[in-house]
Amino acid sequence: MPKNTKKILKEFILDSFLPFAEENPFGDEDSFMEKGIINSTGVLELLQFIEETFEITVEDEEVIPDNLDSLNKLTSFIESKLA
Amino acid sequence: MKFDKDVLTLDCKQQVARISSFIRRQTQALKREGAVVGLSGGIDSALIAALCVEALGKDRVLGLILPEKESSPESCKFAEKHALKLDINTETVEITSTLEAFGTYKKRDEAIKQILPEYNENYKTKIVLPSDLLSRDAFNFFKLIIEDEKGIRKSIRLKKETLNGIVAATNTKQRMRMLHLYFYAEKNNYLVCGTTNKSETMQGFFVKYGDGGVDIEPIAHLFKTQVYQLAEHMGVIREIIERKPSPDTYSLPVNDEEFFFRMPFATLDLLLYAWENKIKLADICGVMELTEEQVKRAFRDFTAKSHASRHARKMPPILKAEDGK
Repeated sequence: MPKNTKKILKEFILDSFLPFAEENPFGDEDSFMEKGIINSTGVLELLQFIEETFEITVEDEEVIPDNLDSLNKLTSFIESKLA
Repeated sequence: MKFDKDVLTLDCKQQVARISSFIRRQTQALKREGAVVGLSGGIDSALIAALCVEALGKDRVLGLILPEKESSPESCKFAEKHALKLDINTETVEITSTLEAFGTYKKRDEAIKQILPEYNENYKTKIVLPSDLLSRDAFNFFKLIIEDEKGIRKSIRLKKETLNGIVAATNTKQRMRMLHLYFYAEKNNYLVCGTTNKSETMQGFFVKYGDGGVDIEPIAHLFKTQVYQLAEHMGVIREIIERKPSPDTYSLPVNDEEFFFRMPFATLDLLLYAWENKIKLADICGVMELTEEQVKRAFRDFTAKSHASRHARKMPPILKAEDGK
């Protein structure tokens, strides 16, 4: 299990979706959808990343905002899958 | 602001007068002698053709019918029938060979083979979003639906590279049509009349420099349900009115709702109106018999799609000159 899930996720999101952003462009609770950070292609990229990095399978039914739509939600979701 | 179930009901006579006047004024302002309309066999272009006839007269409207090997045969048939009813000139140009020359099908198939190596050209495909947003929350993520030679269907969640490859290749269909429309427009000194409606414009359901590549957009202020009202008023043929709207660019039938909008137009349009006009949540829920959660879910989807497509609604950004430079 990778250490510091949140740090890994934040680095991936910054690098993939906001490579030229100013410092700290989103907070841990901010909605990725509402902030325009992740679009329909980005969701697929994020799913691929978390499945490969954390060696988990995310079912279609789990691709919902409650699980994925902020750094905190995403971290909790992955940690619950790994538990 | 007033909000009820009839808020999108049009005064059709007044709308026809207003839109016809717009088309006439724009044609005059651009110093053109008529209009070219791409007739897809769908309701938007059928309505536009009728409005152009109303505005300019039937002898100044050219309908272009641009089928390819994966578009529905009905599209061509209905477009021809409607053009015949309007008594306008048409040109039919089969664009399969130009798409093949560009590599549209080959590029699309190569992208699909990245996730499905056994895929071949006998398979049929479409891409869809999760259905029924109001009943079940889900992110917008595309799945590929594949039907093999035996008619067996399979659904696969796409990867970013595959989706981008499929979309980039498929969008060349609309862009190829744009090339043809401008060829005939310039040859005849006509303008290219766009067919995008407000439900599509607000959420970016058009291809930049494809069906979005036009000179004027006379129905971009009308929601899709208003397009239907006006189409009835203008006598668009029944086959087109009763047909489910579709992008018609995939080999498997796919309608606009499953491909992009995720809810029926009657609901979508009222919610888009409420979103745009900042109607109070309680009023929306009361009129539409939806929960606050459902309305918020729809609004979040509108925000995401609007944000993702905002570049397509704008001219390319430019720097302002500084100190005269």
